Amino acid sequence: MVTLDLASMSVRDANRRLRELGEAGEDAEILNPDARHHIGVGLVHPITVRVRGSAGYFCAGLTDGARFEIDSNVGWGVGDNIYNGTVVVGGNAGAVAGVAIRGAEIVIKGNMGSRAGQVMKAGTLLCCGNASFMAGTMMYGGRIVILGRSGEKLGEDMTGGEIYVAGGIDSLGTDAMEIDISSDEVASLQDFLDRHKIPFNGHFRKVVNAGTKLRYTTPEPTLRNQSCTQASVGGFWNEKTKEDIEVKAVTGRYRVRGYGTARAVPHFNDIAFRKEIAPDADALSKVNLAMTLGDRSGAKPLSLSMPVLIAPMSYGALSRSTKLALGIASRLSGIAENTGEGGMIPEERAEAGQLIFQCLSGRLGWNVRDMQKADAIEIYISQGAKPGLGGQLMASKVTPELAAIRGIPPGIDLRSPSRHPDVLGADDLVIKIEEFREATGYAKPISVKLGAGRVKDDIKIAFKDGFDFVELDGLQGSTGAASAEVIEHVGIPTLAAIVEAIEALDEVGAKKNEMPIVLMGGIKDGVDAAKAIALGAGAVAVGTAALIAGGCISCMRCQAGYCVTGIATQNPQHEKRYRTDVEAGNIHRFLESMRWQMAAIVHGLGKTDVRQLCRDDLVALTPEAAAITGLPFEDRS
Amino acid sequence: MKNFDPSNPASPCQAACPVGTDVPAYLDAIWRGDFKRAFEVITHSNPFASICGRVCDAPCEPACRREESDGAIAIRALKRFVMDKGESLVRPPVHPTRLQSVGIVGAGPSGLTAAQDLALAGFKVTIYEASPRLGGMMVWGIPRFRLPDGVIDEDIQRLLARCPGIVVATNTALGRDISLSALKEKHDAVLLAIGATKGKRLDLVSDVADRLIDGVAFLKRVNAGERPAMPAHVLVVGGGDVAMDAARAACRLPGVETVKIVYRRGRMEMPARKHEIEGAEAEGIEIIFNTVPIALKEDVLTCQLTRLGEAGADGRHRFEIVTASDHDIPCGLVIAAIGQEAACDELSGLGLLKNGWIAADPASLATSDPKVFACGDGAFGGSSIVNAMRQGHMAAYLLTAHLEGRANPPPFRTAHPMARPMLANDPEWERLGREMPRFVGLAKGLDGEVEEGFSDDVARAQAARCLRCDAETPSKTYDFLAREHIVAMGRVAPDDVATQWAILSQRLKTRVNPFPAGGPASLDDLVFLPANLSRLVIDPYREACRTQTKIASLTLNAPLIAAGFDQAPQDVRRDLADGLRASGSAYLGLSPLGGDVPWLQLLPPGAQPSSESAGVVLTTPGPLPKTHGVKGVVLTESTLEAGLVQALDQGFDLAVLDGSDGLGGDLAEFGQGPRLGLLGKAIRLLRSLNREEDISIIWFGYVRSGADVAKLLAMGANAVILGASLAIALGAKCGPEGLLGFEPPARTSAGRAQAVSHFLAALSSEAAMMARCTGKTSVHNLEPEDLRSITCRTRQITQMPMTGGRAGL
Repeated sequence: MVTLDLASMSVRDANRRLRELGEAGEDAEILNPDARHHIGVGLVHPITVRVRGSAGYFCAGLTDGARFEIDSNVGWGVGDNIYNGTVVVGGNAGAVAGVAIRGAEIVIKGNMGSRAGQVMKAGTLLCCGNASFMAGTMMYGGRIVILGRSGEKLGEDMTGGEIYVAGGIDSLGTDAMEIDISSDEVASLQDFLDRHKIPFNGHFRKVVNAGTKLRYTTPEPTLRNQSCTQASVGGFWNEKTKEDIEVKAVTGRYRVRGYGTARAVPHFNDIAFRKEIAPDADALSKVNLAMTLGDRSGAKPLSLSMPVLIAPMSYGALSRSTKLALGIASRLSGIAENTGEGGMIPEERAEAGQLIFQCLSGRLGWNVRDMQKADAIEIYISQGAKPGLGGQLMASKVTPELAAIRGIPPGIDLRSPSRHPDVLGADDLVIKIEEFREATGYAKPISVKLGAGRVKDDIKIAFKDGFDFVELDGLQGSTGAASAEVIEHVGIPTLAAIVEAIEALDEVGAKKNEMPIVLMGGIKDGVDAAKAIALGAGAVAVGTAALIAGGCISCMRCQAGYCVTGIATQNPQHEKRYRTDVEAGNIHRFLESMRWQMAAIVHGLGKTDVRQLCRDDLVALTPEAAAITGLPFEDRS
Repeated sequence: MKNFDPSNPASPCQAACPVGTDVPAYLDAIWRGDFKRAFEVITHSNPFASICGRVCDAPCEPACRREESDGAIAIRALKRFVMDKGESLVRPPVHPTRLQSVGIVGAGPSGLTAAQDLALAGFKVTIYEASPRLGGMMVWGIPRFRLPDGVIDEDIQRLLARCPGIVVATNTALGRDISLSALKEKHDAVLLAIGATKGKRLDLVSDVADRLIDGVAFLKRVNAGERPAMPAHVLVVGGGDVAMDAARAACRLPGVETVKIVYRRGRMEMPARKHEIEGAEAEGIEIIFNTVPIALKEDVLTCQLTRLGEAGADGRHRFEIVTASDHDIPCGLVIAAIGQEAACDELSGLGLLKNGWIAADPASLATSDPKVFACGDGAFGGSSIVNAMRQGHMAAYLLTAHLEGRANPPPFRTAHPMARPMLANDPEWERLGREMPRFVGLAKGLDGEVEEGFSDDVARAQAARCLRCDAETPSKTYDFLAREHIVAMGRVAPDDVATQWAILSQRLKTRVNPFPAGGPASLDDLVFLPANLSRLVIDPYREACRTQTKIASLTLNAPLIAAGFDQAPQDVRRDLADGLRASGSAYLGLSPLGGDVPWLQLLPPGAQPSSESAGVVLTTPGPLPKTHGVKGVVLTESTLEAGLVQALDQGFDLAVLDGSDGLGGDLAEFGQGPRLGLLGKAIRLLRSLNREEDISIIWFGYVRSGADVAKLLAMGANAVILGASLAIALGAKCGPEGLLGFEPPARTSAGRAQAVSHFLAALSSEAAMMARCTGKTSVHNLEPEDLRSITCRTRQITQMPMTGGRAGL
């Protein structure tokens, strides 16, 4: 047993020592914890840590296989996302105890705060005292055991798992119900209590999901999406508008589709380069496009051969084969790929040279092991297609295999939570970022993904919170499934987003590219990329365009799960149609063509480095583009 | 990337078709059952469409984007289906209108196509054909079991009927019956389309010449009706379509027991169409690969084995002989099908034909004689029917320029007519697999067709599989051009600078402003600002966002009221009432719907309030008769200011802002679109009087969706009235000219009531979703600060600030 005294060392140093001790197989004791945050975060060895006092936020968070014994109380999110391991808390726990755990045993001898076990996937969370409101909200699996009383809305919107309460239940939440408990279950619970030496002789009531909201009822009719061009013909009540009304009259709910904004909005093709670009066969060898991304706080940055990334898209929305093709293409072109919401699949990790791992509100597929394999970590706050809402994945795509990697029950219409369970404000976010840095030894860049809304405010907060870079997604950003109305009407256009973002950074005195903005949402080619960079973006990300290069036909029926090209599907018969090697080559050539285009433009504008592009290189061709960007208006029509 | 033109991309199948057939357009017509239209599209640039439906080598199919996933669309078989349907379109005949004439030698696909185009252009055309029949290799080179006589006649008769001015001289061979000098004398230009009709000699040591025949000659004899006596074992040498046809014809002849094909390279190198190779194999013909013949004896062909060597300049692999690999294959007859060449003593004598080909420039088709042009297989080597047709089109194009005295015309390119019809909405289109027509094989002998046609159902399903690469995508961001350019970027070699530049110069083009000056203000051009980092603290889970709406004493489940059904049929009003009651909504109109639906009585001047009503709404500002319930007034652009002040003075509960073309009128929502400025004006007026809380503002006009509802609420409305959209939900037909009635009903009475409640529920949930996105727990907490304009016009009318920055506005 090694003793670490937090009165004389930082948590960061203590955690580093704990990792070393874990590797060496030695246990540790923490003195004077003083309710500090992140104690023991990121341990992945079978070490026992005894905390002599109270711990702050995320004690034992993002660990795998360790045992923690805390003498007194813990703050928010004790045991956050533990894969396996044990946490015993001698006193009380704050809110979201056992958040997103994937297999731990957490024992809280005292009371626990609200929303305990939110989005947990597996494992057992035991509270020997009383639980505050909404325990088990949005849980996907595992069990919560409350020996005392439960507060209001127990099991609110839970999807799977079981909640056992021995004391009273103030009220059940939406879509939760009480059912009988079997003797086997009672025996299993007693076993657990005995193992942890908890005396108990009461009776349990059992609460599970009531199953009224897991699936949409009337399915949407199968229709190929009509084009806007056709819709704009035929007046106000055109075919598209009529179809929407008729479908809603059948289903009684919003329509769901894939892709991004379908109607025209002001975009990069409404601005132009001031100078005409003359062709030069050797432009590529005459300009520099390479850059690094994410070293604002001293982490090891991503090294990009050009200012382009693959946008976050999940395994789930996309087939495994498509994720592999994106990974291969990104490696061949020397850029970075992104896991999106669905967890990291091993083949994707192997293929992608540099991979960003995304953390979302549902913590689907999120875990410390994969975090440590990633090249960068990204906190998703929202996306351009549906900012303010969580992800959606329709039941036809939630296969058993996919459900397993996400840690959820198969066959549900998956609607991820809109907000992170443990990030309710900008200040929480600072603590969350710190937790991620602790879990990855401060070695990986941490970015934030934002859908463009109140961009100026959001970017200022992101800058203050210390993110290494921002992935900013405009209104035109695509998705695998979302409400068509939200896709069309929530968020500001990509063009406006970058202008607002750069203005905000200037206002807080940020240096150029101190916190680079990676812009996405309708970036189609090297021309859009060069314009975005001239407006101040550090880089761009391509999602839809890469998919189109790799075989997508833009029918926008990604939600249905029967993608004709095998891209947006989990159906093996349909995925079989996708030829990973061929499409990886196509995506790679598309990226190379983007590179060629950017080089031709940079060179054509008389510059030698893509970072020399600036606003002075651009003019606005429409009154809208001039109003949105403040670029000089030039009427070329 | 073949034939890709970044400035005018066509679907890959169309780009791959040598005559530019708009394949997706005819597939769509098949799916819709409009076979006449399908016929029209197919025959637009293809005079031998019936023939192609049977035997085209269909380069469109390998180009199809579905080819690599679950199989290309069965384009050729679908063409046959249309041509077999017989719903032809008779195009009016075109008679000669010009004095100049053209003599065409050879009535194969290139000669006849050129003849057609020149005749359509008004020239006098005479076609000279050595054999007794028109059609060239289509008649003599392809066996009847693949291409029946009637099919050939169909196409040729259609062509001649359309071009009655074409003079046909059959049994007229160049050199035998007529000389080139005579043709030059007679015509203003001569086109040599003589084809490649002579089989190349197989270089073979042989002392039994009667046991060796060339494939073309063999097929010609069989097609002429001969049934030569055959030995039991036949060997065909060669790997092209002629070899396949010869082998398949041979195995249908009496006395033949086995037919084998000997080919010097491997399967991958075979030039024959995959479909034909599969057909031959399905008929029991064995293909012996990597084998080359060296000597023919009485009853065996001595062969050697080969292996592939280096690729030559033409990309084809050379082959090398494997030493000491001599072996004998038993056979009684060898059919050599190793290629064809042109043959004509007269042309050879004149020096126009050398080494088996007419010497002509591939771009201008000119020969060394300024009056003589050449096209087709005789000039450029053995090819396909569809390529020969392209040559014919090209020849006619260039000859027209020549005869009109235009030097250096722009290079010929196939027209790519693109109809881009609506998408076929077949629910199964993603899942349907490729099917081919039933293969009959040998069962019907020499003259029976080897393949059947599609049934109507199968044809429709196969047509539904089309991905519709030609169609405008539903997305303006990734529209057709953007999509095709992105695809091209993914196919271009990184170092292919010319193509990279061609694509870039297209991508650098900017678009026509989608928001031209003077356009209307639109709710579509307002967007919501979602809650992100700045409003994280509010967490309305899932669908939890309140929609309940209170207007004075009236409580509604959602901020939705119905209006405009006073003239609707009684059964529609009854079903509407059922739906509205179930939804907790209300009705605004002259007469009550009944069924316990709260009724806001529209009260024209002089009318009396009804005791049944929940309140009255004056159609125009004025004195209010005595009433017990809710009090309100309809205000329009002209009555707003005075009317609103008066309503406040009268203590009214609500004002209906009529942003339509006349609430209650037939065309209320079928005019110039919503007058969005009205709402902002009303709210600013109330704000200036500091009386925003004293009266409910209810919007009427052109509300389609929950997004519209949410935006109007954010702009200051307390509720909105649905008219036309609700009528559509109830099953009303409508066109730009207005509602066209509810007949015939698409649903039962209960179904219609449910459609109403479903539509209201959908709009309500959409509005709630918008509110959640902005971080609100009630739709009534939406506020103007949640909105931004994305167009100047909408900003001007609604006064919602523009998105963006850098002091653009």
